[in-house]
Amino acid sequence: METGQAISPLTSSTVSGLTWARPIAKPLRGLGSFIGMSLDVLVGIFTTKLAWQEYLAQSWFVARVSLLPAVLMMIPYALINTFIFNILLGEFGAADFSGAGAAFFNVNQIGPLVTVLVTAGASATAMCADLGARTIREELDAQRVMGINPIQSLVIPRVLAATTVSVALMGVVVLVGMVASFFFCTYFLHVSAGAFVAGMTVVTGLGDVVVSLVKAFLFGLGAGLIACYKGISVGGGPAGVGNAVNETVVFAFMVLFTINIIVTAVGVQFTLK
Amino acid sequence: MTDIVSPPSDRTTRSSKVGRKLAAGWNRIGEQTRFYFLTLAAIPDAAINYRSEVLRLIAQMGLGAGALAAVGGTVVIVGFMTVTTGAVVAAQGYTQFQSVGVEAFTGFASAFFIPRLIVPGTAQVTLTATVGAGATAQMGAMRINEEVDALEVIGIRSVAYLAATRVLAGTIVVIPLYAVALMMGFLAARVGTTVVYGQASGVYDHYFNTFLSTSDLVWSFVQTISMIVVVMLICTYYGFTASGGPAGVGEAVGRAVRASMVVGALVLVAVTLAVYGQSGNFRLAG
Repeated sequence: METGQAISPLTSSTVSGLTWARPIAKPLRGLGSFIGMSLDVLVGIFTTKLAWQEYLAQSWFVARVSLLPAVLMMIPYALINTFIFNILLGEFGAADFSGAGAAFFNVNQIGPLVTVLVTAGASATAMCADLGARTIREELDAQRVMGINPIQSLVIPRVLAATTVSVALMGVVVLVGMVASFFFCTYFLHVSAGAFVAGMTVVTGLGDVVVSLVKAFLFGLGAGLIACYKGISVGGGPAGVGNAVNETVVFAFMVLFTINIIVTAVGVQFTLK
Repeated sequence: MTDIVSPPSDRTTRSSKVGRKLAAGWNRIGEQTRFYFLTLAAIPDAAINYRSEVLRLIAQMGLGAGALAAVGGTVVIVGFMTVTTGAVVAAQGYTQFQSVGVEAFTGFASAFFIPRLIVPGTAQVTLTATVGAGATAQMGAMRINEEVDALEVIGIRSVAYLAATRVLAGTIVVIPLYAVALMMGFLAARVGTTVVYGQASGVYDHYFNTFLSTSDLVWSFVQTISMIVVVMLICTYYGFTASGGPAGVGEAVGRAVRASMVVGALVLVAVTLAVYGQSGNFRLAG
């Protein structure tokens, strides 16, 4: 109350209203500055010169960090999914359609899901940890002093790298998943290989692949923006960096799962005839 | 005189580098295994001697800390995430079934896929991100600030006090969180199908109740518990061994998330194959 009066001559009712609203104001301010940074980035992509070297280095970094987790995560998820769906198909006596099931799940849900997990869990954490370390070492302040805009030199290349790698990962993940499902179905569940391959395109087509690629693009963009925002707004020593990475994962998951459900609901309107 | 000690050839340096890398990896596996067994063995100690710390951690994990508490804590985050994944059943399942004219089966898809696949998977990644990574961040910061060494100096068993209490608290906290996740998943699928896509709720409930099996729910609960124990062990290990200043804590959290998501997926598939591998636990004709 006293601090509020010290800053500006507000009436007592407004001040008590402000103290009540303070816990709400903090996350709102965070959201606002996140949106501000995102706008800066989106405008900056078209108006400033792209830092090519940083972009390539970051793409390589993100790809290196996330390729192995992507493959290692996709194989179990593809197997579990093919397996559960095959229980169902076996009960109907339609095990020959396991190719259709595998393609449908891998392209439409498991592929994007694993891409979410990898971009939020692997790329975004690594990116936030790296950027947070630079912030805590005051490298960003040093850049500002030298007249270099950190948004242009650090953030935009990272956001673009996350987006590129996410789309590329989506392709890798679906490919790995289909190969894993194929071998699992033919060698362990005794589905004929020809029936599996023939069934792949029954319910899944180009439209589904395009929708999944759109999802991957948005995932990479969202995760990259969140990771960079959390990275450049780090404060408070070791605990601060740890918490920033932790919050990056959580917020990225929440945003990416929301994007997934929205794009799914919109996408099926186009892909179903 | 100068060439008495010949410089090591390219091949020997490379092979010794590979050898050193292999040895380091091997040592790390041994070190991790040792830490996991120490932590598991210290759980009774933690439950008896550090009970108040366990209670404090349960409260903190359920509600989250810092900015995570501001969005409602772990409970709300878990609920929100399972809403988004449960709604996939409605968004993708209903429309896909509708395209072949059997949209009545959406209730069945919800009863079949949500407990077996969607909730364990979603709970795994959400708990890794919130509870697991949070533990790594806290313990990493303590390690960097030399608080862990301070604990050792004043005679507190750091593995029991820091790691075992967190594994125990994580396992306890997951029980109500799992119930929230399951209910939110079912609710999202039902609301999505009946309200958004306009299916008659009686049709949905009929197929849902017919195909919902209690043993599926119990097994999916077992899956989630076994997974959280593994995830907490991995996350506490990376927090406990963090090094390299503030940047090191961030790296440790990233590494913990990557490792525990991969291992969590493997645990999920192992438990699924163990539970459903023989019979499938499913009968269409009741």
